[in-house]
Amino acid sequence: MAANAAQQAPTPNWPYGSNSSGESKVHENPEWEKARQALASISKSQNSTKTSPTNHTTQQTGPYQATDSSAMQQQQQQYYQQWYQQNQQQYAGYPYPYNYYYPMPPYGGPYPPGQYGVPGGYQTPATPTGQAPAMPMMEDQSIRPGYQGYQTPAYQPPQQQGPGQGLYGGPGRVDAKKPNNSNMNKGGQQLWQRMKQAPGSGAVKFNIQKRPYVMTNQNFPSGDQAPGLASPTATNPSPGSVAATSTTSTGAAQTRPQDWPQAMKEYVQRCFTACESEEDKDRTEKVLKDLLQSRLQDGSAYTIDWTREPLPDLKTKQSRWEAVPQRSQENAIGRGGATRGRLGARLGNYRNVFSQRSPSSSSSHSSRSSSRSPSPHSRHRDRSRHHRSDSGSQSDSSMSSDPRLPLSRRQQKGGRGRGAGRERGRGAAGERGRGRGKANRGRRNMEDLASGIGKKRKGGNAGLDFHDPNREAKKQSRAARFHTKLRTEPLVLNINVFDLPNGTQEGLSWDECPIVGTCQDITKNYLRLTCAPDPATVRPISVLRKSLIAVKTHWKSNQDYLYACEQMKSIRQDLTVQGVRTDFTVEVYETHARIALEKGDHEEFNQCQTQLKALYKDCSSDNVGEFTSYRLIYYIFTKNSGDLTTELVYLTPELRADPCVAHALELRNAWALGNFHRFFKLYQNAPRMAAYLIDKFVERERNLALRAILKTFRPSVPVEYVQSSLAFSDLDSCLAFLTGLGVTFTPSDPSKIDCKVSSASLTTL
Amino acid sequence: MAHITLNQYLQQVLEAIDSRDGAFCAEMLSFKHPHVANPRLQLSSPEEKSMHLHCIFTMCSSFQAHKEENWALPIMFAATLDLRIFANNAEQQLQSKGKGKVGDMLEKAAEQLMSCFRVCASDNRAGIDDSKKWGMLFLINQLFKIYFKINKLHLCKPLIRAIDSSNLKDDYSTAQRVTYKYYVGRKAMFDSDFKQAEEYLAFSFTHCHRSCQRNKRLILIYLLPVKMLLGHMPTHQLLKKYDLMQFADVTKAVSEGNLLLLNEALVKHETFFIRCGIFLILEKLKIITYRNLFKKVYHLLKTHQLPLDAFLVALKMMKVEDVDIDEVQCILANLIYMGHIKGYISHQHQKLVVSKQNPFPPLSSVS
Repeated sequence: MAANAAQQAPTPNWPYGSNSSGESKVHENPEWEKARQALASISKSQNSTKTSPTNHTTQQTGPYQATDSSAMQQQQQQYYQQWYQQNQQQYAGYPYPYNYYYPMPPYGGPYPPGQYGVPGGYQTPATPTGQAPAMPMMEDQSIRPGYQGYQTPAYQPPQQQGPGQGLYGGPGRVDAKKPNNSNMNKGGQQLWQRMKQAPGSGAVKFNIQKRPYVMTNQNFPSGDQAPGLASPTATNPSPGSVAATSTTSTGAAQTRPQDWPQAMKEYVQRCFTACESEEDKDRTEKVLKDLLQSRLQDGSAYTIDWTREPLPDLKTKQSRWEAVPQRSQENAIGRGGATRGRLGARLGNYRNVFSQRSPSSSSSHSSRSSSRSPSPHSRHRDRSRHHRSDSGSQSDSSMSSDPRLPLSRRQQKGGRGRGAGRERGRGAAGERGRGRGKANRGRRNMEDLASGIGKKRKGGNAGLDFHDPNREAKKQSRAARFHTKLRTEPLVLNINVFDLPNGTQEGLSWDECPIVGTCQDITKNYLRLTCAPDPATVRPISVLRKSLIAVKTHWKSNQDYLYACEQMKSIRQDLTVQGVRTDFTVEVYETHARIALEKGDHEEFNQCQTQLKALYKDCSSDNVGEFTSYRLIYYIFTKNSGDLTTELVYLTPELRADPCVAHALELRNAWALGNFHRFFKLYQNAPRMAAYLIDKFVERERNLALRAILKTFRPSVPVEYVQSSLAFSDLDSCLAFLTGLGVTFTPSDPSKIDCKVSSASLTTL
Repeated sequence: MAHITLNQYLQQVLEAIDSRDGAFCAEMLSFKHPHVANPRLQLSSPEEKSMHLHCIFTMCSSFQAHKEENWALPIMFAATLDLRIFANNAEQQLQSKGKGKVGDMLEKAAEQLMSCFRVCASDNRAGIDDSKKWGMLFLINQLFKIYFKINKLHLCKPLIRAIDSSNLKDDYSTAQRVTYKYYVGRKAMFDSDFKQAEEYLAFSFTHCHRSCQRNKRLILIYLLPVKMLLGHMPTHQLLKKYDLMQFADVTKAVSEGNLLLLNEALVKHETFFIRCGIFLILEKLKIITYRNLFKKVYHLLKTHQLPLDAFLVALKMMKVEDVDIDEVQCILANLIYMGHIKGYISHQHQKLVVSKQNPFPPLSSVS
């Protein structure tokens, strides 16, 4: 638990609640602490003394600009994790009213999804819980509607949680800190405004609180935030005012992160990437904070060669522990319910202050914060939900930020889409075993969270459906990241990552990021892909059309199956890689299926059939009936009555009318009833290439039929009858078949089979 | 109860766990419990619900750690049941959105169930009363439900073997055994092992609780075709009682040897039969119908040497299309081969010569 206490330091964000009960400390999650950055802390400390007064006055305008949805997500995640765990530990003992408001699900998965449920309940004013009388902070509730209104236009989904949770925070509540915090984070701007009047809180308290904001904000360039501000709420400050306040609050006295020398930022990054464990990171953070602060103050930060600066000595363990209790104390004070309004205001300011942070610092932070995924459970869950991100990180747990990565790259990571995990996973393999694994995990967790939120939004909390003006831009940047990754990185990890249920290449992966080939070769040898496809070796559709024709003609003239199969496979591959699912794709598969069928290549035929079945859902073809009938016949071959029944269920009347399907159905009927006469008649009249398929099991059926014949006819049966009944093309093949089974002919007339004798010998076979 | 708070709820769960009250705890944890309706737990995204299941499975793994105890079995039952139902819903939703592979969700659920099953099946050390083996049959039943749904009957085989070799197989609760035999019976039916299918399904039917009319009806859907194939025709009353009148015409047609009516009945209720998965089985009733039809021919002609033309006329009367003498021979050959007719065909004389004693043995003695 010592660790827990120590971890409290970051949590000071919560304005109130800890003082109300001693429990708060206990609840603090260690994970919290980890979610920090050196940069953040540094800036915080600087700001704390200097800016706090100004912040009070200017609060409203500043805070919200900075908030970016993704940044918030990160923050939120941290909070939730912590919160959640808290809940877990405590729920049994909690006094009733508080429990009632717990947003978290009762049972044990450490992951946050339960939280999402919470806001939903509270968002709607009508919900009984939302108006819970027990809530100490009535102002919160009254504020809410306006709050929501405000958010709706300006914020992205993740922020939905803000309002809901904000409500819960009563001054006296133990767990109130978090909800409040989230509230602030999410930028209920109005909320904070109203809270101004709350009694002042010491600047000291806020030092700690600032951190998370700082970090999160850094991810986003200030430019992005402008649109968010512009959202049309009356209460919203105008952008201009925001800018003004931010400048004042940050003031000249303070060195803003973006003003930091680039070399220094990189140095900070290096420090963190060198950490091997979470403790290391915490220590590093502490050391860096002091170091950078002093450097910045005496100006040497701009003069020394950061690249040569030694990495901080990590043996400062002790100091870290000292620091923590102190912070937590501050925390407790800050949390007083009364001070909340102020706090909020201040927070807002801080945020504003930091909003213009340089991205570099943010990136390192984010990696850290995310690294605090609470427990293995969450991982499991992630795994099941997000195969990609998940397995990616699993496959290589030793990754995370490579110090040598260019800055720009790191920034991208800060944004942290799905792909981030993968990208990183490929980074510096094995360099930093454990620590990185953790980071990775955390990230995954966050993605999880983010996606969960996104989903929720879809779920339609209309009132809180925020629109982030930056979203498109972010999306694009994410997409861009994805793109580069695809090209530059070997695919090996991707393969692991995509353990999607449909292991076929048709998976979403290709749909999401189709490439367009540039290769102009008509023929191309098939090579199983072991790495990302290179557009230079992939043929575009126009070329593939020619390829198909070439293969067909070659096949007709040469009947070279090996060649044809290879060419077809490479065509299929190129289509798959480019995500082409059109009529042409259908044609390719149909062609290959026919060729394979003709040559009895089961494997390829079945592959094509599987693909065709899926393709027919999207693309129409004149041959649906034909290939459906092949499928039916194939089930007869495999005697798979279950699949046969399933297939029958899906046969539409139109399909049944198709001559091929009708034939297959009749064939099935005759086969099921053992009506070999009809069966072989149908075999002889099989349309298209069905006979090739029936050939596969015609021997089996002949054998069965012959047994019935031999058992039934007495005393003998003419060979001719057998020949015609069992659809032998000529007498010789029939005789060969019969003698192969050891059939005995009547001594007197060799054109007749002695049924009794033969039957006996046949049954012993 | 419906509005207990989460706190109270958790309190109760805790108490249940502390007091090892597996049954009550299971009730609490089940998704059927009213706590689920608590607005705090409402999730707009169905995927989030998997969390609930995940928690539960975490518990199940800890369940494994409880050596020599099995009080938690009911909890596992509740959890696995929820899991399967969720998988089902997830599957349906995915399908309606056109996403995902068919059966994927269910297969994943089956995987989880299998891991639970392994835990139970490998609990060899505990005494029989404390053994987790008591959980096997429940899990198997859940797995059966999934396997039948995703058409992977072959996966049932090892499970059946596990139960067959278990010394507890007759001591499980009746409810579980009824379910188990229902599925095994169905499987036997699909494998054309009608005798065994009849035995299992009949057990299921007779032991199924009388208040479970729906279940009884389900059992009957499979028991009826099997019984008919074995020559036992259901009474009109029975069909009426269980609202299975779709079988009425089939029954009538088969016992009368009325091929025409049979074909009509099959076509008429094709959708129902196909959906139940019994169409292919009912189709086999045609063979019985042939037999009954030919038996009538035999009774009409009152001779042991029956000209094949007579059967041809009979078939044509039933509007069997483009049938010829060769096909008659073929049908007869099959009936003789399967033992429905005792006799032989003289190809030379184009006659069916039937046994003087009992040329059409009762169906129950055949096959």
